[in-house]
Amino acid sequence: MVRLEARRGRVIIHFYSRKFEWIIEPRYWKNPFIGLIIWLLIPPIILAISQIVPISVLSILSTLIFANILCILAIPLTLQIIGTGRVNFGPHFFAAIGGYTSALLSKNFGFSPLATLPASFAFGSLIALGLSPITIISRGLYFVLITLLLPFILLEIAYWQSEIFGAETGIPGVPMLFDTGNIFQDVILYFYLSLAIALVYLLISDRILRSRYGFMMGVINEDEEVAETYGINTTKIKIPTFTLTSGAMAIAGWFIAHYYGSFTGPAWLYPSFLILILLTTTLGGKGAIYGVVISAYVIATLREITRVAFGELSIVVLFLILLLLLYFLPEGFWGLYRKKRYREYFPTIKIRRG
Amino acid sequence: MLDIRNLKRKFGGIAAVDDVTLRIEKGEIVGLIGPNGAGKTTLINLISGYYYPNEGKIIFNGKDITRERPFVRAKMGISRTFQNPRLIGNMTALMNVLYAIIGKEGEKITLHEAYSEAVYYLDFFGLLKRRDVLANDLPIYEMRLLELARALALKPKLLLIDEAMAGLNPAEAERISALIARIRKEFDLTIVWVEHVLRILMRSVERVVAMHYGKIIADGTPEEVSRDKRVIEAYIGEEI
Repeated sequence: MVRLEARRGRVIIHFYSRKFEWIIEPRYWKNPFIGLIIWLLIPPIILAISQIVPISVLSILSTLIFANILCILAIPLTLQIIGTGRVNFGPHFFAAIGGYTSALLSKNFGFSPLATLPASFAFGSLIALGLSPITIISRGLYFVLITLLLPFILLEIAYWQSEIFGAETGIPGVPMLFDTGNIFQDVILYFYLSLAIALVYLLISDRILRSRYGFMMGVINEDEEVAETYGINTTKIKIPTFTLTSGAMAIAGWFIAHYYGSFTGPAWLYPSFLILILLTTTLGGKGAIYGVVISAYVIATLREITRVAFGELSIVVLFLILLLLLYFLPEGFWGLYRKKRYREYFPTIKIRRG
Repeated sequence: MLDIRNLKRKFGGIAAVDDVTLRIEKGEIVGLIGPNGAGKTTLINLISGYYYPNEGKIIFNGKDITRERPFVRAKMGISRTFQNPRLIGNMTALMNVLYAIIGKEGEKITLHEAYSEAVYYLDFFGLLKRRDVLANDLPIYEMRLLELARALALKPKLLLIDEAMAGLNPAEAERISALIARIRKEFDLTIVWVEHVLRILMRSVERVVAMHYGKIIADGTPEEVSRDKRVIEAYIGEEI
């Protein structure tokens, strides 16, 4: 009657005399919405499971919201790495800029969350625009060091001007985005909001990477000097990419501030958070924006499992597991589904013979 | 077409290109020779914009391009190949040429037109069958051909070839030389060609410029240059 058949790279569902084929590799999905539907159905699935097995739905949803926050940071970071050819070690700096902007504006000037959203994007982009010459004057280790220093500078400022930034206590009293009175409902709404932001980033990044602009970004990522030989004005690509993607990362800070109802810089500015973002990007696969979503969910879940199971040792165990994943999956999660031939991150263009 | 005036480029205390003045007319094919470290590649890098000179001027088609960035020069029609092929390794041969066309033309060309152009240039160099092979997986001869295809796809007026025959066997070198002659004829190009394989180069060019320690020591027809005493001295033990 109904029979499932697993073939290499695809699943065939036999339903009476009819046959439905589903190719596992998402490139070939006839309906890209399948992935989206799975993503959207996560909360109901967890709710259904909670009816059978006693699990804490709230803590699982909070973990998944953290995974979405990782996505919101790692997707623009991936795009930035492709478009500038440099690895930014300060994505959490831009998130903190967004977080502080939202928290300070709403606390001191009574801005609503809807007003702090464009403000944090604009301020994050502005700071990035001021910093963008580093994408021209530095590369390699120098760029890494410059971007790595930025969060530490902000951290020092947060401690130094503790009356403004609140140091370790943070800035409390930031209005929550959702306050329905039912915490369960709120968490679900937060999950869908963070998912929506990540999804918008995903779609925009996909469109950009498939455009001419994306073609040029790809060349810059491979070899900047060769890109110049092609007649590509690399500055004209690198600066907008760096500015806008950093602004997009600032929105993660906006979400954090309005989700927790406060923004505590030191909680997000330490390297342990940075490492999670970088691992999300790396384990996603080289230049694979869809892989980032998978790795964000794997990393956030592993983090929560190790925290519950290993207590104090959790960080050590988590990083050991992630180290092993890096070792065994050099091309990331996305690479698992890819044929060797399609190593490049843009689809090969087929040309008809004759 | 290309007018280089008193060009000087120093690395530390050493002048890699020292007071070079050179004039290249439209349609010429000029061989640039000299022993290792003579400053040939530095001169190519100066013309294509990879280095900026300490002194002197570069004038291309009547415009001073001394301080222009490489992409501006590429748009003006200066294209080059590299001594060690610098292809985008994890993209296919077709993508390498296609990206060059899209990078150069920007919004002016549709993707469809760009594909057909890329296919044309690959076909010209006999690489059409290898279009889906990653550039890194190509043998050195085909890498050199792909570099030439990519440089030509940028529709240059001046083509700078930096050692197209390095690492090739004699038969392949002959084929490359024949191809360069064909390119020049069909695309109406001005070519500056740096080469170490003098036996083939001397047959293929009409004018040879010899460099030594950053200076031009001889400039003339291949026969004149090969008989020049200073050139023979520079290439001790090497027959010309």
